[in-house]
Amino acid sequence: MHLKLSGLAKLAVKILTVVLLGGFLGATLVRLAPGFGVDEEELDVRLSNESIQTLRQAQTTDQNLAVFYFHYLNRVLHGDLGTSRTLQRPVSQLLAERMPETLKSIGLGLAFAWTLGLSLAIAIVMSRAWYLDLGASLLAGTLLCLPAAVLALLFVLAQAPARLVLGLIVFPKIFRFSRNLLARSSSLPHVLTARAKGLGNMRLLVWHILPPAAPQLLALAGVSVSMAFAAAIPIEALCDLPGIGQLAWKAALGRDIALLINLTMIVTLVTLVANSASDLLGQSFHRASA
Amino acid sequence: MRKRIANVVLLIFVALLASGALAQSGGELRFCLRSEPKTLNPLLMSDDSSETIRYLTGGVLMRVNRLTQELEPELATSWKVADAGKTITFKLRDNLRFSDGTTFSADDVAYTVQQLMDPALHSPTGDAFRSGEGKVQTQLLSKNRIAITFPAPIAGLDKLFDQVAIMSAKSPQKEMAVLGPYFVAENKAGAYLILKRNSNYWKHDAAGRALPYIDSIRLDIQQNRDIEMLRLVRGEIDFINSVDAEYFDKVMSENPSMGHDAGASLDAEFMWFNQVPGSPLPSYKKTWFTSTNFRRAISEAINREDLSRIAFRGRARPAVGPISPANKFWFNSKLQPHPFDQKSALQRLSLDGFHLQNGVLRDREGHAVEFSVITNSGNKYRERMATMIQQDLTGIGIKLNVVTLDFPSLIERMTRTFDYEGCLLGLVNNELDPNSQMNVWLSSAENHQWNPSQKTPATAWEAEIDKLMRAQASTLNSAKRKEFVDKVQQIAWDQEPFIYLVNKNALSAVSPALHNAHPVVLRPQVYWNIDQLSLGAEVARNR
Repeated sequence: MHLKLSGLAKLAVKILTVVLLGGFLGATLVRLAPGFGVDEEELDVRLSNESIQTLRQAQTTDQNLAVFYFHYLNRVLHGDLGTSRTLQRPVSQLLAERMPETLKSIGLGLAFAWTLGLSLAIAIVMSRAWYLDLGASLLAGTLLCLPAAVLALLFVLAQAPARLVLGLIVFPKIFRFSRNLLARSSSLPHVLTARAKGLGNMRLLVWHILPPAAPQLLALAGVSVSMAFAAAIPIEALCDLPGIGQLAWKAALGRDIALLINLTMIVTLVTLVANSASDLLGQSFHRASA
Repeated sequence: MRKRIANVVLLIFVALLASGALAQSGGELRFCLRSEPKTLNPLLMSDDSSETIRYLTGGVLMRVNRLTQELEPELATSWKVADAGKTITFKLRDNLRFSDGTTFSADDVAYTVQQLMDPALHSPTGDAFRSGEGKVQTQLLSKNRIAITFPAPIAGLDKLFDQVAIMSAKSPQKEMAVLGPYFVAENKAGAYLILKRNSNYWKHDAAGRALPYIDSIRLDIQQNRDIEMLRLVRGEIDFINSVDAEYFDKVMSENPSMGHDAGASLDAEFMWFNQVPGSPLPSYKKTWFTSTNFRRAISEAINREDLSRIAFRGRARPAVGPISPANKFWFNSKLQPHPFDQKSALQRLSLDGFHLQNGVLRDREGHAVEFSVITNSGNKYRERMATMIQQDLTGIGIKLNVVTLDFPSLIERMTRTFDYEGCLLGLVNNELDPNSQMNVWLSSAENHQWNPSQKTPATAWEAEIDKLMRAQASTLNSAKRKEFVDKVQQIAWDQEPFIYLVNKNALSAVSPALHNAHPVVLRPQVYWNIDQLSLGAEVARNR
């Protein structure tokens, strides 16, 4: 138990370090991007010279990266994530408003992708029907070739729910990996023997095909979360879904360092936690089955 | 006899229609904002979306009628400018209430003006009133009379109040309590805003019915213009306030009755050369760009008619100068767009020692004339214009390189590093009064783009423009002001620090279900008469 806790603590420290480094790297990239520290508002011809100078002065506070990052971390420790320069609102408020939208999109997208991908993979492995395999592989291949933006626009034109696009982006990867994993499991000698002896399909699947593939499938689950998060940015931006993907897009265009640093850290954190959780689950599954 | 009766019935019907008695009440008007409003504080609004909210919710003392371009009373029944343009006295309407029920009085006007002129606020609307050092004085003459005194005279003072939404001094809802036709009822960040009818709105139609006719407005935040267009065609939204030429043609092909072209707008597309003495450009290029002959030659080598016809599909007019012909009073009608004449351009260039050598234009020292023009990426009209200008300039042996940058990078080069040669951009002009362009034309201004923040004017003609702009700003006599402004336009035409290219047309698309919409040139083109708009019976019923 003690060992388990120390392992978890080590993992938490590792995640925290990577998140902090990710945030710093994100901030560095924004800081070095051309056009950092300028505001479109400066071109408003109604503004007096004094107001323009004040606007510029406000941007210089973020110029020194090390100082900015130190102040940022200090503020985070006090529960303040800063204020978005482009949207002129507290970052915590923006995240609270938009996170549910993205979580909903990702949740629905992943549910759709996993249901479709895993069902097709199981159906192919269990039925061993070549036409089903060919059809599903063609579908997955086509979806892999189509850029996310094209899929999003097609959904907009068809008035289909844009959230499903996320599912279609993640589906081919889930289908191909799970199909291969299940196919490998189903060709194990004991499975072939069990099949030859007439064991029922359901028992074969639940007791002999799925368990050996479970750790890898869990790892895939972790990866699929980060894939869905990454796909959410262009999809939300194109389909005008008010989630954090759209927010990240706007922040990048506006060189909004306060917003970008927080979003980078959130995406890093989600990716790491999802992957670590699936790794841990996979390990425990492995140990249990051993 | 029967014919007579029919005529009388028809006449009554037309009269009722004109008075609004037959206008359908209720329903939800729907249209899109291109971005999330940055603020709902009417004093701090500077982006398009925020200004839309201000227009729909804010009550103003007087309003420029977007159709006639004349000032009309709103919350103030009358006003008087005195003290050589330093003081304005308003008489306010009695018994008005904000959307939350708090009463409206001169106190609210005083409060709004004090807030607006707070130097720490840096309000773009407030900055338009800043003509000199010192504090603004407000004097309450009675419950419904107030005098406001500015430290220095302001030309066109009364028209500036078109942009000032009056806030309540007492309401606990602060800026959310409004005097306009609608109030913000719901704001779903990044998704939509719902505005509800203000039941305390003071206006009534000729038949005595309370305005506005429409119950609520749904503003969907929609950045993607393709989706916006699709939604209009499907009938999900009722209009697109500003459509670009390509989408306009699509609208016309779908349903010609939906497209409205109000003619040349106040906005201008133009290019300029970097004349900043400290810019990191080679000295021979600085010599080119500061030469009037060079700028005039480039201007004459550009075919503006083609830019309008091809880049804007005929939905633009060759531009003349800083004031668009759409600005009926202030435009100097003696001026014409620079003609396309490459022979004349070469003659002008020869005056400065430029000469053609094997089809390449070279300066006196033998440098081949080649420069780059930056513009913002993603704006296909500017990219098209730049390509066409590139083609035009090859006709006089000049090689033009077009560089597209995203907006922050572009602004950085224009305002910080000055590391650019030429720039192609546009000016969105919301106001008719030339005073609004003061921060562009004064040589000391930050937005004097070709050579900003000069300590003393770099050229005699810039000194002359400074003098004329200051003179027009301190004169109340409109005719005299017009004289000064005409001279500024003439100098700008002669010297061409900005090479004006085209004035885009004000294009909009309106669903036939929206009644009483008369799109105009001035912003907001479609919903300027928001309280008079109504929806068709079926649409109103279904929403």
